[in-house]
Parts: sequence; C-alpha cells; structure tokens
Amino acid sequence: MRIVVPIKQVPDLVEELELLPEGTDLDRDLLTFKLNEYDDHAVEEALCLKEAAGAEVVVVGLDEPEIDQSLYTALAKGADRAVKLTGDLEGWIDTHRRVAALASWLASEPFDLVLVGVQAVDDLDGQVPALLGARLGVPHVSVVTRVEPSGDGAALVHQEYSGGLAAELEVRLPAVVGVQAARQAPRYASITRVRQAMQEGSIEEVAATGADEAAGLRVRRLFAPEASGHAEMLEGNVGEVAERILELLRTRGLLKA
Amino acid sequence: MPLGHAPMLLALPANRITRPIFGGETETAKTVFYVLALLTVLVFAYGWFRRVRKYERGRRTVLQRLRRDEQVPSPSPVVAPPRLGVALWRVLANTPVRRRNRAVGTAHLLLFWGFTGLFLATVILSADYDVYRNVSRWITGSSHTFFDGTFYEAYNAVFNAAGLLAVVGLVVLMVRRARSRGVRLDYRRAEQPTSGYSRVWFVLGDWVFSGSLLVILLTGFGIQGLRILHEHLPGFERWTWLGYAVAEAFRGMGVSPAAAGGAHAILWWVHVGFALAFVAYVPYSKAMHMLTAPVSLLATNPGATRRLPPPPEGKPGYVTLADFSSKELLDLDSCTKCGRCHEACPARTSGAPLSPRDLILDLRQWADHQGGTVSLLDWETRPEPSGPVAGAPSEPVAGTVVPERTLWACTTCMACVELCPVGIEHVPLIVNLRRSLVDQGRMEPTLQTALQALSQQGNSFGKSARMRARWTKGLSFEVPDARKEPVEYLWWVGDFASFDDRVQGVSRQLAELLHAAGISFGLLYEDERNAGNDVRRVGEEGLFELLVERNLAAMAKADFQTVLTTDPHTFNTMRNEYPQYGFDKPVRHYTQLLAELLESGRIPVRPLGRRVTYHDPCYLGRYNRITDPPRRVLAAIGCELVEMPRNREATFCCGAGGGRIWMVDDPQVQERPSENRIKEAAALGVDTFVVACPKDFTMYSDAVKTTGHEQDMTVVDLVQLVAEAMAPTLAEAVAG
Repeated sequence: MRIVVPIKQVPDLVEELELLPEGTDLDRDLLTFKLNEYDDHAVEEALCLKEAAGAEVVVVGLDEPEIDQSLYTALAKGADRAVKLTGDLEGWIDTHRRVAALASWLASEPFDLVLVGVQAVDDLDGQVPALLGARLGVPHVSVVTRVEPSGDGAALVHQEYSGGLAAELEVRLPAVVGVQAARQAPRYASITRVRQAMQEGSIEEVAATGADEAAGLRVRRLFAPEASGHAEMLEGNVGEVAERILELLRTRGLLKA
Repeated sequence: MPLGHAPMLLALPANRITRPIFGGETETAKTVFYVLALLTVLVFAYGWFRRVRKYERGRRTVLQRLRRDEQVPSPSPVVAPPRLGVALWRVLANTPVRRRNRAVGTAHLLLFWGFTGLFLATVILSADYDVYRNVSRWITGSSHTFFDGTFYEAYNAVFNAAGLLAVVGLVVLMVRRARSRGVRLDYRRAEQPTSGYSRVWFVLGDWVFSGSLLVILLTGFGIQGLRILHEHLPGFERWTWLGYAVAEAFRGMGVSPAAAGGAHAILWWVHVGFALAFVAYVPYSKAMHMLTAPVSLLATNPGATRRLPPPPEGKPGYVTLADFSSKELLDLDSCTKCGRCHEACPARTSGAPLSPRDLILDLRQWADHQGGTVSLLDWETRPEPSGPVAGAPSEPVAGTVVPERTLWACTTCMACVELCPVGIEHVPLIVNLRRSLVDQGRMEPTLQTALQALSQQGNSFGKSARMRARWTKGLSFEVPDARKEPVEYLWWVGDFASFDDRVQGVSRQLAELLHAAGISFGLLYEDERNAGNDVRRVGEEGLFELLVERNLAAMAKADFQTVLTTDPHTFNTMRNEYPQYGFDKPVRHYTQLLAELLESGRIPVRPLGRRVTYHDPCYLGRYNRITDPPRRVLAAIGCELVEMPRNREATFCCGAGGGRIWMVDDPQVQERPSENRIKEAAALGVDTFVVACPKDFTMYSDAVKTTGHEQDMTVVDLVQLVAEAMAPTLAEAVAG
C-alpha cells in the first residue's frame, strides 16, 4: 500500500498575531510556524498503518516557512519519502491553490490512500480532503479517527461524531481521508533522529504546478478579535443571586414563565 | 588462619621455636590437601574468568578513566577524579564505607584489615613451606626455613591480632544485620512485579557469606589453641597470645593434651575445608565484592554525574549488554546490597517504583544471564519469570528488564551516587537507559509536550520567546540588553524564574537588589533558552545539544565577563557541561554573589533576627558543593539557621529534578519528596523555609499547602529575605 500524507505549516499561536497594515494578511515576519496539528495526526495514522499492515509512507508539503523541519521530523518518525513542492508560494496559500498544487503532483504519483489533516487553524471549514477527493476523482471520507485495510482494495474507516456516536464505513481505494485524530497520540521524534534525517538530506524537490490557479476566494480584510465586555459577577446571598439569575433569563427571553 | 596447619602434631624438633607444618601428617593427607587446594584454585579461576569475560563484553572506558582522558578543562572545576594515591587510600581506609556510617564502617574496616592480615599470613606461610624450603633443598641439598625463632613469634603475635580484629568486626556486622529493622537491609522491592517475587536467596547468601567467615575464623583459633595445648603450652607460644589463651581455656575445661591432639586432627580439616570452599565460592557470591569493589572505587569518576557522559558511539543509549561500559558491568558485581542508596533515594522514599539498589541488582541478574556468569545464591526468584528474572535474552533493557516507570521515577538528585561505598554511578546509568526510551519516543505525554515546547519555543512553558523578559516590566530601571552593551554579569534567568508567576516576583527583587548594589548585569532577552540540564537528564541528548548550540551562539553575540544563574540546574550544566562544547566563561550562582555583596557592605542591611531553616538544592549543594555562600548570606542578614538533619551535600531532593517537574506523579507515590521535606522542617519548630532555587520555590510552596503547614510555615527565597533586611528606603524600591 502506498500512503501519501500532505502536510502544511501553520502559525504558532503562542506568538501574538498581528495584521499587516492593509489588513489582508497576518504579519508573517513576526510569526513562527509549526506543523498543523491535524496533519501530525495524519502522519501518525499513516505510520500506524505502515507498522500494522505494511505500507510506503510519502509526506509532501508546499515550500512554506520551516516546512523542512516538519518533513525531516516525519522522516525521523518512519516516513519513507519526503517531497517538497517548490515555486512561487509567498504568503497565505488558500485551500484551492493548495489543493490544485497537491492534485497536480498526485496525478503523476500512484497512491492508495491520501491521509490529510481534516482541518487547520487557517482552514477550519476542512475543505482540503473534500476538494482533493473531488479533484482526483476518488472517494473521500472526513473526520476519521482510524483507518484499517479491509482487503479487496478497500479500507475500513472510523468516524466519531458528537454525542458519542460513531460510524464505521468501508471506502474503495484509492481514497482521500481527512484525519481528525490518529489511533494514538503522535509519537515523539528525538532531535538526534531528526538531525540524522537532515544529514541524509533526503527531501525531494519538485516544482509545484497548478498553484498559480486563481483562488476560489479573495480576502478583503481580516479583523483582530475584539474584547466585548466582561463577565458580570453576581454578588449577594443565595436568594438574591437566584433572583438575579431568573431576571436575566427572563430579560434574554430564555425563560417564559 | 593460615591454611597449612598440621593435623597431627608429633616430634617437634627439639629447642626450635616453630611449629610443624604438616609435621607428622601422612603423605596421603598432604596429597589430599594439595589436590583440594588445586581444585579450589581452578574453581576460583574459572568463576573469575567468566566474570572478566562478562566485563569484556562492555565498552572499554575503565582505563581511559584511570588515565583521566575524560577530563576537560573547566574554568571552575568541581570535583576531579581523585589521584590514584588518594583513590587507593580511600580503598585501604574504607573511607566511603565509614562515611556517614561510622559504626558499621569501622566494623567493616576491622574485618577488612583482619581478613587481609590473615590472607597475608597464609601467603607468608606458603612462601616458606611451599617455596623457600623446596627451592633451598634443590639448591643446597638441605631444606631451609625462615618460619622460626623471632620471626615465628612476631608472626603469631601480629596475625593473632588480625584475627581478633576480624572476629570483632564480623560479629558487630552480623549482630547489626540480625537486629536491623530499618529500610536499609529490608529487601522488599520498590517496584512490585505482578507475579510477586522472593528474595530469600539474597538473605541466605548474606548469612552463608558472613557465617562461613565466622566459622573459618573461630576454627582457626580453635586449632591453634588445641595445637598449643597438645604441645604442653611451650613458653615461646605465649607470643601466640590469643591461641595460647584458647589453649589455657581448653585446659581449664579439663581437655588433656592427648585429647587436644585428637580434636585438632578433626577440627583442622573443618577449618581447611571451610577455608578452601570459601575461596572457591568467592567469584560466585556476594564475597566477590572483595575483588571488584576496589576496582570500582579506583575507576569511579565523581565528575561523571555532574557532567554526563555522551551516549555510546553510534547508539542512542543503552539497549544491550554491550552498550554498558566495562566499569558499569563491574559495578553491578560490586554492589553489596548495603541499602544506603535505597534509604536515601527520594523516589523510593515517596513510594515510587524506583530503588537504586533494586535497579543495580536487577541489572546484575540480567547481566549474569546474558554474560553466562552465575551466582550460587544471591538470586531473586519469581513465580512467573519476568524482567531480570526472565533468563532468556531480554532486550531492549530499558522497558524490558527495568520498567519504564522505574526509570522515569529518578530525580537525578545524586544522593545514591554520593552515598555508594563502592563507587557505583547510578545516575549516568539511568540517563543512558532513558536515552534509549526517548529514542523510541517512549515517554509520558506531559514530558513529550515539554520537550516539544523546548525545541519549538526554547522553554518548557510553551510560551513565546518574546515573552521571556516580560517579568522585567515594573522594574524601576531598564535591564541592559547584553547583546547591545557590555556588562559584567550575563544573568541567565532560566525558565521558572522567567515564566512562573510565583517566581517572577523573586526575579524582580533580585534585579532591584543587584541594581541597588551597582552591579553591571544584563539579559539575553528572547535569545536566552533553557540551558538544557534537565533535558539532558531526561535522556534527550539531541535536544540538549541543540539548546547548547543555540545558547552558545546567543552568548557569542553578547559582551560579558561571567554568567550569573538563578537556577542551580542551569548552574550545573553551564559550569560542568558547557565547557565540553567550547564555553570558557566562569559561572556563578546568585547566592555566591549575594554573599560577597553583603560581606563587603555593598548591600547595607539590618539584622532580621528570624529563625529559619535552609534547604540545599541538589544541584547546588550536592552537585556543586556550594553550601557555604547561602549560609553566609543568612548570617549576614542576622538570621538564626536551624539545620535540618539532612543538610548540605546530604540534602533531600524536592522531587523536581531530572525532568520530573515535567511529569506527573507515579500512581504508587504516597508522599511526595517535597512533602517529606516540609515535615522534616516542621519538626524543627521554625516558621521560615528558605530556598535558593526557583523550582524549589514552586515545589515547596505547593508542599506547605498539601501537608497542612500553610499557616505555620512560609517558603521564601533567599533573595526575599535579603530584600527584607535592606534599609527601608531601598527595601521599598526592591519590594516592587
């Protein structure tokens, strides 16, 4: 089995986010970047699959800030190949352009499964798996928490929903799977191993095609969240507090009686 | 007792001051003795050969250590390996055995020298009887001896004394062992195998060892007395003062000279039989420590724990037997189960599944299985084989032989290394085992989060590096940026003193204090990263190296004379480990600087008149022997110091070291080390618990709450006391 895991870099949210004066993007010079958490889970699930059933794992990323670190880390954890798609990739790359670049590369790469993070801090609507499936003309399943091969060119996937509901689906391969969480917490790659991977220098660079395609949407302006008032502390004895709660619920129309 | 005493005592040469050696014994009996002796030597040599073969499977570092190749010049060295002469003296004087354990150590010293004396006596006798007499006969035609006259008398007088010392020492040790109810000699394991276990063979091994020694010693005196009585107590034998007294005692009991002769013939064989069997038994038993422990002590490197050795070449850490150094494999055999580490270990004390003693014994049993050596007794058994008892090759050693929980329980406080009377270095061993776990990504989630934060943000709090110097907000002055202007001291604040809300106030006070004293100091601001002491001790060597590289690069951008540290952990790695990576500046802890400023009057103070106790941080007091400066500070500000029983280099760990602060308590923990320590302090009747380490500040602030001492005990940093003692005008500024 051949598993491709597209990964991406996102801003590290421990840093303060600042907007550019024109307001259409973050000031990326002030940011540090790290691997998208969900992609980390996609890598982990791919490696679990490899260990359980045998597979070749290929991680692929666009040439974004500090992507090398994430690609080498994936190699250190046990991925077989790392590919970097290079080109004119400055600034924020929206979902459509990202998917176009990935799909164009995947067109010439045989694969059985694409495991990709279901979302990212700058892609909370989780379009990547669906768009990628559509572009490649293969089935897609998202919000997946476990993938297992089920023979006959198919895979069993588990989904978890809110309210404790779960589903188990069978999907025909090749397919694109949006990973919500791996079956286990992403493993730790020791710095020694990451550095070994770096010394072996085995990132393949491929020119990205398709990323110059027109974006599906245009950012007109970004807004920093505004603090809107503070919590009101209810004081007094139990009776008074209870009265006040009732009053609040009535004035907000949450309580009819 | 000399081995070659005569069984039958006839026909003494007239007027000769000597005694018969095999005199009058039949040739058959002599032959039997020599055949047995030869067998003994063969069995001994075989056992020893097997052991040496095992050591040779390890990495060769022993000779390097003896040659001190591992020493790297440090501008402020702590503890260099002792010179060979000093190390030899430590062996001969039993110094490490007597340390903090006077009575037991002295008893051991008596036995050590008594036993050595008796061994010498046998060697001398053999040199005369087996060598000198035969050689002289071949050369001159007649047999010569030096075993007579004054030599004979002196020989007996001296070695009787040796025998007595040995008996006294041995009896004291045996009585103490039999009566001991403490944890030291309690063989219950800290980590419980699921199937249960038995260590009765350990106990049996101890008693066979000490018991057979006692039998050899007592029968030695017995045969001496019987022989002298049989010879009708010749006057010159008064030099054999103890044997003579025994002879007189037998006579007093009504034993006739003839009966003494008969009894001697039997007892002689008992004595010889036990002695030969004991010699043959040595390499298969606890007695082996007589041979291995001196080597361990000579080869031990007190610097090794302070400056951890790197992992074996081309290996992430210890996985198989061949990864251990020869010295470490030898150390395993040197352990006598004395239990000093077991008693002192904060992990064991708290109920965590780690005892340094058990770790060594488990590794020994495993190494014996792997290396093909055997002990006859001294084995642990389990109903269902597991871990070290499994027998079959079990690798990797970390996680298979030693459970992961056990390895993670270590705080690297170094109490075990400090106390071990045979020079075992437990901490480097544990770190090398942890390294192989880290390589496999096997660690608890909280630790993984901390390591990822350390590699991503350079601090364990996962905060932006730009927030590191935020604690300086609110200071009455701006702290110079050492990257932009020259300063005398580069202050390495460290993660806790920079990011922890509770400790930030202390950092501000120290900054104001130094400013008021006119000290030139600066920060690296966002370029400072965790120094990596605990990262290295967790076993993440690669990340440690990365942090060192980045910190050295950051320091290269700054102009300063000396590094000043808040955190003793930072202090340790910068002082002892950074020089190996090319760092060449002196490092000081703030307690050293404060002591100097107070004593020179640069910080004017008034006496506080408080009664306080002081907790020595492991990495300051034990690792780096900085125990006086904080006490000098307390004296300078007029505080009465009431010492806790465990003080200075015998301090008790707070439980945070070695990366433990990034992990959760083992479910087996009953009382945290920090709680144990607060109770120790509370028993003194003082209300102020002084610390000099940011991690201690947080650990003990928690512990006073969880032990219910919140009302009667306050945890303060030394800095806070100095600020309090300053002149009110200054104190006001500093209080900010």
